[in-house]
Amino acid sequence: MDAERGLMAKVARGDQAAFAELAQRYSGKLMAVAGRLLGSRADAEDAVQRAFIHCFAGAGTYDARWAVSTWLYRILTNVCVDELRRRATRSAHDEHSAGALAAASSNHHPPTAYLDLHRALERVPREARVLLALRYVDGLSYGELARIRGISINTVKSQLARGKSLLRAELGKRGADHV
Amino acid sequence: MCDVMDAGKGPDRLDLLLSDYFRPEAATELPRRITTAAQESRAVLERLESKLAVEGTPRGISRVAVGTAAKPASAAARRLVEQAREEIHEYLRGQRAFFQVPVDLTTVPDFQRRVLAATGHIPFGEGRAYAWVASRIGHPRAVRAVGTALGRNPVPLILPCHRVWRSDGSVGGYIFGAAVKDRLAALERTTPVLEGCTSTRIVCRVGCIHGRHMRPDSRVVFASVEDARSVGYRPCKRCRPAA
Repeated sequence: MDAERGLMAKVARGDQAAFAELAQRYSGKLMAVAGRLLGSRADAEDAVQRAFIHCFAGAGTYDARWAVSTWLYRILTNVCVDELRRRATRSAHDEHSAGALAAASSNHHPPTAYLDLHRALERVPREARVLLALRYVDGLSYGELARIRGISINTVKSQLARGKSLLRAELGKRGADHV
Repeated sequence: MCDVMDAGKGPDRLDLLLSDYFRPEAATELPRRITTAAQESRAVLERLESKLAVEGTPRGISRVAVGTAAKPASAAARRLVEQAREEIHEYLRGQRAFFQVPVDLTTVPDFQRRVLAATGHIPFGEGRAYAWVASRIGHPRAVRAVGTALGRNPVPLILPCHRVWRSDGSVGGYIFGAAVKDRLAALERTTPVLEGCTSTRIVCRVGCIHGRHMRPDSRVVFASVEDARSVGYRPCKRCRPAA
């Protein structure tokens, strides 16, 4: 943990090698969260790159009381949530975007076994979906999730429980026997 | 595996399915040029800002252009010009998603005023076609006239004529050049619109005065006011997001 904080201190001083190491260490997990939230690999890569740019530019404001992973997840979820907002306004206001959106989501083919889950997750409210992704990609604790999204631990718990119960109901409707 | 499950209970089938679904993928190589591209983009906008002239009247901002500005005629006009400069500065740095400074369009012809007002309805970070503006103001065939009216926008940036593109998705013309128009679209695509403060649990539009006092690690982006409410945030009474 302290080694990572040391790495962040180097990044704050503009050390490119330290930045590359940080990116190397976290890009897999960040890609997984972004990929699951945004659907397409291209959008996920874009989001992760933007998150790293913010991380590099904002390294000076990094506070060592934060675990580096928590800090990075905060930055990444901020980027992803804004991307989700943009999609929502686009589809609500512009009929041309319907085709574009369909094209974007068709770029991503989740394994067939997960198709039901993938569709069911789309029905889960955004905030709960973000928490589910963070929880299941990296096994983050309630405390970490609360810090990443700036909410109370009780809200984390109730959001996760609500998300999962919606998933159960959706998967049940689809006749999946996973639940 | 068990540490991510509900405390006190073992993993059930949904837990196992979720863990599998969210398993991290192999690391990807991140193109280094992205950082350089971001810096170049910022340089284009900073160059634009350094050349901008802003003029105003006591009613609002009347001109934003490349060149030299006439001296404000009154203290009220000077205050508005200062406010506009500040807001433009924040906007071009991705720290503002809306303008609060009033504009003064009293010398602008009625048709053009309606065209400019229509651009204000294009959401931040979005683009609409010239034809969309034409039909919005009730003159669906006046696409060229719309283009001309936008080309003469006296207060670009503040009234977002840069959000109007050609129907084929190309940028079309722009007062400050197509390259700047393109950068503005990219800037708006990467500027969040709503941010919450984790210590006050208040959600604001990005650029609200409250945001200035927010510590960088207190900023949480939300996709909608509804989302923010669902996790215990309330909308700011000052900037009134989604009001």
